[in-house]
Amino acid sequence: MKSYIIEKNKLESLLDYFLKKYKVYGPIKSGADSKFDEIKSINDLHLDYSSTILPPKKFFHPSRQILFKFSIQKEKYLIQEDFEDEKFILFGVHPCDVYAILKLDKFFSGEFKDSFYRNRRKNSIIVALNCNQPGENSFCKSMNAGPFLKEGYDILLTDIDTKYLIEIGSNKGKKLIEGLGLAVATNRDVAEKQKKCKISDRKIKKILDPSWLPKLAEENLDHEIWIDLGERGGVADSFPCLSCGSCSLVCPTCYCYDIYDTLDLSLKHGSRIRELDSCQLLEYGEIALGGNFRKERKDRIRHWMFCKFGAAAGGKNSNCVGCGRCIRFCPSKIDITKVAKELRRRK
Amino acid sequence: MLNEYYPSLAIIKEIKKETYNTNTYSLKFTDSKFIKNFSWNPGQFMMLSILGVGESAISISNVDKDNLINATVRNVGNVTNSLFSFKKNDIIGVRGPYGTGWPLREIKGKDILLIAGGMGIAPLRGVIHYIKNHKEDYGHFEIIYGARTPEDMIFKYELETWMKIKNSSLHLTVDEIPSKNPFECKIGLVTSCFPFMNTHHSNAVALICGPEIMMRYVAKCLETIGFADKQIYLSLERRMKCGIGKCGHCQIGINYVCKDGPVFNFADIKPFIRPL
Repeated sequence: MKSYIIEKNKLESLLDYFLKKYKVYGPIKSGADSKFDEIKSINDLHLDYSSTILPPKKFFHPSRQILFKFSIQKEKYLIQEDFEDEKFILFGVHPCDVYAILKLDKFFSGEFKDSFYRNRRKNSIIVALNCNQPGENSFCKSMNAGPFLKEGYDILLTDIDTKYLIEIGSNKGKKLIEGLGLAVATNRDVAEKQKKCKISDRKIKKILDPSWLPKLAEENLDHEIWIDLGERGGVADSFPCLSCGSCSLVCPTCYCYDIYDTLDLSLKHGSRIRELDSCQLLEYGEIALGGNFRKERKDRIRHWMFCKFGAAAGGKNSNCVGCGRCIRFCPSKIDITKVAKELRRRK
Repeated sequence: MLNEYYPSLAIIKEIKKETYNTNTYSLKFTDSKFIKNFSWNPGQFMMLSILGVGESAISISNVDKDNLINATVRNVGNVTNSLFSFKKNDIIGVRGPYGTGWPLREIKGKDILLIAGGMGIAPLRGVIHYIKNHKEDYGHFEIIYGARTPEDMIFKYELETWMKIKNSSLHLTVDEIPSKNPFECKIGLVTSCFPFMNTHHSNAVALICGPEIMMRYVAKCLETIGFADKQIYLSLERRMKCGIGKCGHCQIGINYVCKDGPVFNFADIKPFIRPL
């Protein structure tokens, strides 16, 4: 499909055009960090961000979702369903996060299709932004998930100094900018993008060979590294894991959730809710009468790492995209790339 | 839009007291369409829900004529405790059936060794009924059933019909017999019945269900008497929240117990069955 360009000072008119039709979520400044939130005008937008705190997963698989509401009558239950229908644009998503969304797409479209996720996904348009500022913890290049995007976008922007290169990836995207009269991109603009891509590649300092990961998981179920990581002094300058669950919270491919019921004060009306859960928490593997299949901290951190290596039940759909958030937010400074390298070294 | 988490409603048609803390509930969908289309395999489970309390994965212990679903429940947690306050003709929520069930078709022509511990007999009861009705398809049929005390044994009223199955044998064992309650069975773990077993491993498969620690030792003992890992099937317990392979709680290695199990071939999951 054709590519277009837009001058940076014209971005406002493009955004205003989007805002007229849809709700727009994008990166905004939040203290010293940035987060995805609703954009009301161009002034909110903070496109020079490196990585947000929470991934855009929250728009499709929110931390708290009402599955259905019910009221308990004297002799029967009344159940009503609850579906949202808000159409929205996700603006300025980085490639690692788009790849993570693609993984969740596959996961939630398996044998049992998750209507809540798919409904939100259907109502969304992804305007991605190629990443010129990979952070110090990013290793997206190694995981084949960035820093430049190849698939999964409706519209893709690339910052080429004074302008943005606009590429279209789907009919949804094509329709969105139809009739805007954007200037067609020249070969020089496209060449400029390639140049930017190479510069961005070189900024990534963390490197990992992902082809090893599933094998590492298979062979090292009882490796002492898990005891180091869980109970002893940690691995490669880290402290031992605290089982706080931060890594799952900020991971763009962590999907696990808990389901529970709530009742209001009348004890007659309530809802069944699903809420994001983490395999790092003690209650996760608990069964009736107090048994627990992952009682030890080392078992839980191992399970999480294997899941990100692509060797848990979620398979390739839950494996790592290299966004680096878990490294950034781990209070014990545990670094998944260092653990993988250490596993290989200590064989 | 289809909501996978939306339970169908079912009436409790009958409550049968099995032991002091175990009941069998006969459930009938209120919607006749569900009754007509219902199909199941022994070993599958349902998500029973009590609105306002929560959901729990309960195995189907049998399906009677008219698709009356039997769920045998032990009172051990929030949902099951609440279920015990329910009476005949009360309504509960039901989703399912989920999971794969026992490989009854694949093991045709083999001798069947069925080992159950405590509540583990519930998901195997369907197998017993199936084999009773299709005895000509299978070889020797041997049941070893262990429980804590004779009082903890469920389906006692069926033991006599199980004993009468042609070309079969039944061993009962308990950990202890309280003096007041004399009952004809051995004392010891299920593995203590192995010396008296008629099944030879050469053309047999073992179907095991019980607490995971029991299954681990049973599998180990079966290996010492010649069973290969591939000849052993076991049904696992995990905490399932969704039942449809999404929520993640029941993961074991690269499998979901709810979707890829709960019945597994021992060879597939051996590294993950380990001390709690």
